[in-house]
Amino acid sequence: MNPPGTQLCQSCGKMINSDYDKKKIKDLMRYDGSAIRSKTRSRSIFDKIWIFFTSIKVGVAIILIIAIASSIGTIFPQEYFIPVGADPLQYYTENYGTPGRLYYELGFHNLYSSWWFIILIGMLALSLIAASIDRGVPLFKSLKNQRAKKHPTFYKRQRLNLQQANTKNTERVIEGFRKKGYKVKEDQNHYLLEKGRLSRWGPYINHTGLIILLFGSMLRFFPGMYVDELIYITEGDTVQVPETDGQYYVENNEFIVDIYEEEGTVFDATVQNTNETIVSNYQTDMTFYENQNVDVVGAPPDLEVVEDYSLQVNHPYQFEQFELYQSSYDNSQMKSMTFQLEDSNGETVGDRFTVALDNLESTYEVGEGLAVEVRAYAPDFLEIDENGALISETPTPVNPAFVFEVTDDTSSELSLLQIMSSTDITQGNEYSVKFVENENHWATVLTLKKDLTLPLIATGFVIFLIGLFIGSYINHRRIWINDENGFNISAHTNKNYFGLKKEINPVLEDNGYGEIFDRDAQDFDKGVIIVEGK
Amino acid sequence: MESTLLSISNWLITSAFFILLVALVPLSMSIRNEKKKFEKTAIIMTAIAFVMQISYFILRWVATGHAPVSNMYEFIATFSIMLILGYLITYHYYKTKVLGLFAIPVSLLLIAYGSLFSTDVNPLIPALQSNWLAIHVITVSISYGILSMSAVAGLIYLLKAIPENEKSWRARILEMIMAGIVIVLVYIGTTLVMKGAVGYSDEFMYTSQRGEAMIAEYHLPSLINYADAIPVEHIGDNQYEPADHFHTGINLPPVINSQSLNTVIWSIILGLIVYGVLRLIMRKRLMALVKPLANRADLNLMDEIGYRSVIIGFPLFALGGIFFAAIWAQIAWSRFWGWDPKETWAFITFMFYTVFLHLRLNRGYEGEKSAWLAVIGFILILFNLIAINLIVAGLHSYA
Repeated sequence: MNPPGTQLCQSCGKMINSDYDKKKIKDLMRYDGSAIRSKTRSRSIFDKIWIFFTSIKVGVAIILIIAIASSIGTIFPQEYFIPVGADPLQYYTENYGTPGRLYYELGFHNLYSSWWFIILIGMLALSLIAASIDRGVPLFKSLKNQRAKKHPTFYKRQRLNLQQANTKNTERVIEGFRKKGYKVKEDQNHYLLEKGRLSRWGPYINHTGLIILLFGSMLRFFPGMYVDELIYITEGDTVQVPETDGQYYVENNEFIVDIYEEEGTVFDATVQNTNETIVSNYQTDMTFYENQNVDVVGAPPDLEVVEDYSLQVNHPYQFEQFELYQSSYDNSQMKSMTFQLEDSNGETVGDRFTVALDNLESTYEVGEGLAVEVRAYAPDFLEIDENGALISETPTPVNPAFVFEVTDDTSSELSLLQIMSSTDITQGNEYSVKFVENENHWATVLTLKKDLTLPLIATGFVIFLIGLFIGSYINHRRIWINDENGFNISAHTNKNYFGLKKEINPVLEDNGYGEIFDRDAQDFDKGVIIVEGK
Repeated sequence: MESTLLSISNWLITSAFFILLVALVPLSMSIRNEKKKFEKTAIIMTAIAFVMQISYFILRWVATGHAPVSNMYEFIATFSIMLILGYLITYHYYKTKVLGLFAIPVSLLLIAYGSLFSTDVNPLIPALQSNWLAIHVITVSISYGILSMSAVAGLIYLLKAIPENEKSWRARILEMIMAGIVIVLVYIGTTLVMKGAVGYSDEFMYTSQRGEAMIAEYHLPSLINYADAIPVEHIGDNQYEPADHFHTGINLPPVINSQSLNTVIWSIILGLIVYGVLRLIMRKRLMALVKPLANRADLNLMDEIGYRSVIIGFPLFALGGIFFAAIWAQIAWSRFWGWDPKETWAFITFMFYTVFLHLRLNRGYEGEKSAWLAVIGFILILFNLIAINLIVAGLHSYA
């Protein structure tokens, strides 16, 4: 009936293996003496793999390796924390020197998604599964088939034990424990009192939760489960929301940055003392649209307002399975530039004129008979080609350059103008165009997120937490009593013997018995002992 | 109105500090004296101090409108308050006095250290404007307070179990922990003297990693400075002019926080000097000084406390430090987990305590082994609470 390797007889609790260390009380009771698979079979390759993954040593080693590896990942920032668009090799070398370069070469800049880190996590999952089945199944069986009747040696081997002659009050003791929530199982004059068995399932519940969580995080690699994109919207623009097949559009009506100012609050001193401004709010006032023509092929979008929403940090906007987050903003791109004409004496001539960079006019009238014509424009000036045209490095207006032609009643002249410099193209120019100021675009950057793995991961973690709390906060307490040859009581708990004694002693005392004897406690009354683990 | 509340609140936490300090006297007397009155006095004083600290917390919350857990000082103060809570809970169950003799000084040391940071109230940046701030940080600090009890019990265990004259690694490492405590004490003392009493202040202008001109205020002579740092003096209205300050010329790239490193180096040098002088006077290891107190403890009880506080603190940490944190990260940063340094170190702390529990439950790591693990756990907590914010610039560096 009992598989080889079983240490305690499941019906009487007597030792089966005579060579077993008789002083041991802890290992013996862990799985209630029943055999665990990894200790009984070791022949086939499967058995060997099974033994490897069920080993606590191996499990602990995997956890430690994962923890140490994770700490390496915090020495320098991971790649996704470095500025967008920066060349990683260059970035790590420039900022962190040779160690930084080495960090990059070894692949530590993407440590948490590296193949070896994922393999470690996979091994942890296997270890969780194997160890839980290996120990959980036999434990379940033996706790389910518990008997009230135990051999006298079983009583002696428990940490808490008491034997007294008086058997008159057995019933009252049982009743006392029943009142404290113990379930009583009776077999002639043998009693098993038990509570908090749920505690023993805690580890298996929390391991199950972790396995669900790890499974859930794997799902992210499947298409359609996970979307993470940035949406860049200049103030006043409306853009299509990616990944929605043109069904949704979002408009940035206004992007707002608020800062804290001195306004008679308790924060005034801090606001005054700091050199930096403290931002109080990032907000995109947005309008969310649905395209009514989404099913009509080739039709222009017919946008219907769904909702106006003020998108702030910590207050994402939800639609369908997606969420929009206020991520960051950008005001580095120029919207318009304002210029002023001067004559050769440095006196201003005519009115200022403003060139809107995304909506260039060809001619700006600045005064009576005086006009400035834009002959060429490059948003991100690189060089002038052979034909005299301006070459732009990128289409974004970060370093604009113009060729202006200034015409008055008598003549016309050309000049090349950049933000910082102005070069005459024609000889002996009478006028010069001076840059006065520029206005920048305010663009908001939103994160579009869809994560269908979330419910599974959250469920996994909640199960984990429930298991953890059950295993930690509930104590599995068992008391065995018989009055065959005098009153005999012994008790076992998976943890907190201190609390168990506090529960047992008052009941014993009320019925005229002495305090229960604690095999562990007697040692330290004698003086210093050091309990060495094995 | 709010500023009055704030001054009351500051007064409360300062007074609580001194009450706890004084409470150590009857507490240490209660160990030798059989009479209950010293013990009772000490515990009542500790409980009063705790109530005052909680009042500090509530009043500061009312005054600022947000839970006072938004900068370095407030984090550390909260942690030290929860340590007192941890002790009171442990006392309630186990009536241990020796634990208090170690736990209260640790709490006092922490709050003294925390008060070296700016104690001003500051408004919340957008990412912190959430109810999750209070939920997440308060749960984490309660769990830290309880987990710390395991380390304090572990330390007492080691002090009692390891002979003071033993020529072994375990004795040397324990003595190194003692030296570390001296260094922290010296650091607090030096900073209070140099910054507060002497008013030593050298300003240096340097270029930060982002290319911005920054000012570093040194309260100790500069042994280590930022690359291309120039000694300057503030002439008012955010204007600086070159000046002449002491510096060694050893400069490091702006990736490293040279100012903090400078303070660390000074603390280690001065701390080791003080430690050396103490050793010369005492002619024995420093652990011999506190060992008589630890010897009063019951080893099995310390082991029990060491284990139970992990078993109670760890699930709370998983709840507050991982689960609540992940929910908030999902709302604020659009991802529940991002391997930010602070997140990663919370994960490492989490993994460490799982190792603790597995070794204890399955491989019989009890007694001394368990005590060592508990002490390491506390060091990890401190590292994540303090060092990560000072060393690495991640999303959590609000201080």
